[in-house]
Amino acid sequence: MSPADQGRKVSLAESIGAHLLLVVAVAFALYPLLWVVSLAFSGAVEPTPRVLPVPIEPTLEHLRGVAFSTLQVPGEPDRWLFGLQLANSIVISLATALVGVVIAVPTAYALARFEFVGKNGGMRALLATQMFPAVASAIPLYIILDGLGLLGTRSGLVLCYATTAVPFAIFQLRGAFETIPRDLEEAAMVDGATRFEAFRKVVLPAARPAIAVTALFAFMSAYNEFVLAHTMLGREEMYTVPVVLQRYISEFSADWPKFAAGSLIVSIPVMILFYIAQRHLIAGLTAGGVKG
Amino acid sequence: MVAVTARAIVKRFGATEVLRGVDVHVPDGGFAVLVGPSGCGKSTLLRLLAGLEDVTAGEIRFGERDVTRLAPRDRDIAMVFQSYALYPHLTVRDNLAFGLNLRKTDLATIASRVAEVSAMLGLDLLLDRLPRALSGGQRQRVAMGRAIVRRPQLFLFDEPLSNLDAALRAQVRVEIRKLHDQLGATSVYVTHDQVEAMTLADRIFVLNRGVVEQVGPPRDVYDHPRTRFVAGFLGSPAMNFLDGVQVDAGGLALPGGQRLAIRDPERFGDRLQPGRTVSLGVRPHDFVVRPDAPDLTVEVELVELLGPELQIHARLGGRPLAVCLDSQSGVARGDRLPLAVRALHLFDPETGQSLRV
Amino acid sequence: MSSRTCSPGHVLGALLAVLALLAPALARADELRLWHAYRDAEATALVEIVEEFAARTGHRVELLAVAHESFGSKLAATIPRGQGPHVFIDSHERIGDYRLRALLGDAGPALGPDADYSAQSLAAVTQDGARWGVPLNAKSVALFVNTRLAGAVPDTLEGIAALPMPAGVYPLAYEAQSAYGHMPLLAAFDGRMLADDASFGFVGPAAARSLAFARELVERGAVPRDADGALVSDLFRSGRAAFAISGPWLVGQLAGVEFAWRVVPLPIVGETGLPMRPPLTVEAAMLSPQGSASPAALDLVRALASAEAAAVRQRLAGTLSVRTDVPVPEDSPVLAGFRAQAELAAPMSADPAMRSTWEPAFRAIRKVLRGQASPEDALAEAARRFADVRRPPPPAASPTPALLLLGLGLLLVAFHLVRRARDPAARQALRASLPAYRYVAHSVVVVGLLVFLPLIVGAATSLFAGRPGEGYYVGLANFFEILTARGGPLLATGSFWFVLLVTFLWTAVNVVLHLGIGLALGLVLSRPTLRLRALYRVLLILPWAVPSYVTALAWKGMFHQQYGAVTGLVLAINEWFGTSLEPIAWFSRFATAFAANVATNVWLGFPFMMVVTLGALTAVPADVLEAAEVDGASRWQRLTRVTLPMIRPALAPAVTLGAIWTFNMFNVVFLVSGGDPDGSTDILVSEAYRWAFTREAQYGYAAAYAVLIFLLLLVTTRLPAWLARRPRGAR
Ligand SMILES: Nc1ncnc2c1ncn2[C@@H]1O[C@H](COP(=O)(O)OP(=O)(O)OP(=O)(O)O)[C@@H](O)[C@H]1O
Ligand SMILES: [Mg+2]
Repeated sequence: MSPADQGRKVSLAESIGAHLLLVVAVAFALYPLLWVVSLAFSGAVEPTPRVLPVPIEPTLEHLRGVAFSTLQVPGEPDRWLFGLQLANSIVISLATALVGVVIAVPTAYALARFEFVGKNGGMRALLATQMFPAVASAIPLYIILDGLGLLGTRSGLVLCYATTAVPFAIFQLRGAFETIPRDLEEAAMVDGATRFEAFRKVVLPAARPAIAVTALFAFMSAYNEFVLAHTMLGREEMYTVPVVLQRYISEFSADWPKFAAGSLIVSIPVMILFYIAQRHLIAGLTAGGVKG
Repeated sequence: MVAVTARAIVKRFGATEVLRGVDVHVPDGGFAVLVGPSGCGKSTLLRLLAGLEDVTAGEIRFGERDVTRLAPRDRDIAMVFQSYALYPHLTVRDNLAFGLNLRKTDLATIASRVAEVSAMLGLDLLLDRLPRALSGGQRQRVAMGRAIVRRPQLFLFDEPLSNLDAALRAQVRVEIRKLHDQLGATSVYVTHDQVEAMTLADRIFVLNRGVVEQVGPPRDVYDHPRTRFVAGFLGSPAMNFLDGVQVDAGGLALPGGQRLAIRDPERFGDRLQPGRTVSLGVRPHDFVVRPDAPDLTVEVELVELLGPELQIHARLGGRPLAVCLDSQSGVARGDRLPLAVRALHLFDPETGQSLRV
Repeated sequence: MSSRTCSPGHVLGALLAVLALLAPALARADELRLWHAYRDAEATALVEIVEEFAARTGHRVELLAVAHESFGSKLAATIPRGQGPHVFIDSHERIGDYRLRALLGDAGPALGPDADYSAQSLAAVTQDGARWGVPLNAKSVALFVNTRLAGAVPDTLEGIAALPMPAGVYPLAYEAQSAYGHMPLLAAFDGRMLADDASFGFVGPAAARSLAFARELVERGAVPRDADGALVSDLFRSGRAAFAISGPWLVGQLAGVEFAWRVVPLPIVGETGLPMRPPLTVEAAMLSPQGSASPAALDLVRALASAEAAAVRQRLAGTLSVRTDVPVPEDSPVLAGFRAQAELAAPMSADPAMRSTWEPAFRAIRKVLRGQASPEDALAEAARRFADVRRPPPPAASPTPALLLLGLGLLLVAFHLVRRARDPAARQALRASLPAYRYVAHSVVVVGLLVFLPLIVGAATSLFAGRPGEGYYVGLANFFEILTARGGPLLATGSFWFVLLVTFLWTAVNVVLHLGIGLALGLVLSRPTLRLRALYRVLLILPWAVPSYVTALAWKGMFHQQYGAVTGLVLAINEWFGTSLEPIAWFSRFATAFAANVATNVWLGFPFMMVVTLGALTAVPADVLEAAEVDGASRWQRLTRVTLPMIRPALAPAVTLGAIWTFNMFNVVFLVSGGDPDGSTDILVSEAYRWAFTREAQYGYAAAYAVLIFLLLLVTTRLPAWLARRPRGAR
């Protein structure tokens, strides 16, 4: 290698190359999304092959149609249904993230720090849960939930989502805990903490970015799910948004523009979350604090 | 504050026995330094004292208190880690206050102690920073401060200076000793840096392969190493060893045909029967130039100027020998150098034990 | 204490707050539950009717809109547990299926005099002499005419197809490729999908001639290829089709179009002289067993079926009532058109076997329209497929051997446990594990109860056959059937072994691309000198942030042969560069359909890998790379010898999990190619879903698939470890 190659300055060609790659990737990432956007804002249809996803006769009608749907309960004043459903989606997903993380964190910590009988078996079993397709376990799950009196409740749904999110969360968090130096906990214990206090006051905060990411995963999995939600929820004001959107594309009469508009609306909270979390997504877990 | 006594400590990790019956006693207010080569079990011993590991056998007492089975938090100790182990999510202030908070100390006390310690260590301006925004030396001082602020009965240090540069290390070393004298708490300090060991310690514990080879004040251990290992481990440059040296009447037959008289043979009692083989050890600094009546003569191969002194790589009967002389000595390569030996050490070639009685 | 640490008090508080929000809204005892699949105007009409009922009787009615596709599965999940509706409005053709699953109660008491209903509609809800629903509305497709493009309506379909049209305008748009869309044409050739004895009707010369006829329409360009309902609507709405065969749902979308249009019955096919007769769907109010026992629910059904209600529906939603005493309003030619059509239509068969006709018929029609098979061959294949799906489940087997084995296994386990419990070393280890158990116990309970238990029960289902509730033990017969490809050739399309190969190919290609693209982007994005890093990062994560069912469908749209954006790109390239590339019919060949699926799934999955890579890269300290650089490693060597090995541990779990998820990623396959062509791009899970949901609800069989998938994944992921393990003697 020539010395010039090793210089800290990045050559122009190289940086152009990097940007070119990224621009192509961004185009690939955005193109299908732009079609969804274009569909949501189009006031007319134009069945011809097109390259650029620009809306035809732009209109806000579909967005409005989706966003301002009301719940008409016989004999009661109408309520803002979509708002309720969006709130449901968000609350259920947040609860899933919270419950999932709360369940997963101590377990992941034990897997990262302790040796115990059944540890390897447990890890394998955890991985194995990811392998079994839900098609065969859905019905037994309903029966169990019914036995627990949770069928048809949002809490039951949250519990289902959270438990399905737990195995992956445990894997993710175990990795994060393993990167946190044991010194930190030991220092805390010498400073007067119990093992649990050390875990809570030192390890948890140090693992915050990883926990945030794990929570985001759990949130997403709940936020986009509709099969279980559709089957489990028995009242319209309990529905989550994916269930509602599903109804716009029934076999006979698909209302694509409304479906697209609804999808856009539901994506917004997620995008905001991603935007907030992306700093964490990549943040170093233990920057500073350990060896200079 | 408290004396530390560890008796017959054995520590096993699975099948490997890391400590094999170690006894340690540090008097109240003493400064003990554990030295030894890498992997000899220093950190393990320290962690046992801290309660971070459980002993396999043996007993640890702090003063009259048996702490063998106590959790770290109940031992009233503070520890400075080699990695510093600063809590990355807490500011310097919160790092310092962490232990006090855990003990539910009232806020006013915490504030005043933190202020006191940060003034002592010059951390005042850094209190609101996160550890990642500190330099190595500053982190080290925070780690120290975190230990001091708690006013524990016992300080434990695990190579706290090894991540610092030489100048800073010397400076902090002095600070640590001063702090110790000021606070008067008992300290146990792990290092494999000789200078640290020699300068800081009241008492040095030399560990080797899980046993304590020698204990004593630094001067004592340095001057009268009990084993060849201790002799070789302490001192820089390391002691010269000439193996297979034959004892004859009142002297030693050196390689290359020279003979070295032993001035005070009574020190060795009756262990110097003529004809037996011994290992001879001489520290490089224990040579002096004596043209008139040399004990031995060596050929100079290389001379290095280390500022105040010269380090000379010489040969004695073909064997390498290091000699340190005053830089004014005017020795040059190729010289035949007449030397006298101020002090010599003799060891049993099999057991490595010193032959001194 | 610093505000940066979170105390358990905060967490607990948050948990409680959330749980309070989620507290079950308790169903009131006096409440009637009514489920429907309506939206827009139809939903408004229903609300008005129910409001009137509630005001009159004082009953509370809880309305719930349920997606049409999932109506059955939701009913099946809730009715047996008392959580289902009392009354639900659904299509009559599901009656047979619902009856089999014991979801229906007798609706006879709510019916009133027979004379109130059209004969057709009564026939539709009658089975085995009982009435299983009260008919409300009738729906069928009819012919929509754009009167600007077509002044007069030709009498015959041939006449319509031959009408001269401006460029880019089709004479006729209909869903030629779907079985439902083909049914009117089939009827004009005197054929039908399902014979009276529930055998496959889509066979013989009539079916073959109808297929040949449809193929000719498509090949002549008189009818668009690959048209689904949405495209038919769009073509007619935008004036690009002079005629369209569509249903009442198109009416609402035609508000505000610039041309005049009307609705007339479907034409005659000149070749046979018979009219095209669409299947008639009768929407009926049905009662669950719980509902049929409730006088209030019966009252509600009566209210829904009343002449007043029919009038409301007709007025607000333009639905065609089946009541004989509700005339079509004078001022509604559209409704008159539909009524005329309805009189000519025949109710769709409500036999549960009907469900099994769709998939074979659909595949046959597609194959013929694409010119990939002659009508005769395609129909023979369809008949074989239908027979295969309808084949009676394996005979019951004696469970004794299995129970014996199970008992023996439990005994062994118990023996082993007792032995371990007496071993002091094991006890010591167990005691040392106690603190750790305090951290894992709750997970074990929750995951065990809600993940493992269903999984084990689900796996046990694979030993049973028949419908849920009346299943019987068959031993390993399901597995035997699957592994022997149901007696067909082992590597035929759709056989387990073929699908397995496709699944492995699918997983391998996806994982390689995910990892490759994710790594490349991660590495580029991690360069500290890169400008606009944060922007790129956010934009590249977006595919992950938008719900995948939306974007998968967007991708499917992009791959439409005629109107998709990919075709648009091809045409644009032709225009710019003077090339003459042919737009690709993506879903007509395995390679291209597979590629379309892969493109979609790669698009969905690469952001995850990118983020994982970025995270892993933060663990590679700069000094290690610099050390390697000083040691003379080239950039490539630094990547392959330092960076990649260092991030491997962090990537490995993500890759393993990614592979497992891809293996079971049925969404994309289902939504994008739907298995096209001819089921060849189906993967094992989508096959399992088909058996469970679109064919005969053979849960045992689907569960056997699931177990096989599980075992395959288990073996594949454990294989490297097993191979690496030394033989026992070496210990
Ligand atoms: N948890 C453990 N399990 C097994 N072996 C261990 C464990 N901790 C330490 N050891 C072993 O015990 C021996 C002593 O380790 P220790 O950390 O005490 O050495 P040390 O004297 O501090 O060395 P250094 O100067 O390099 O820090 C080493 O051989 C080490 O490999
Ligand atoms: Mg150490």
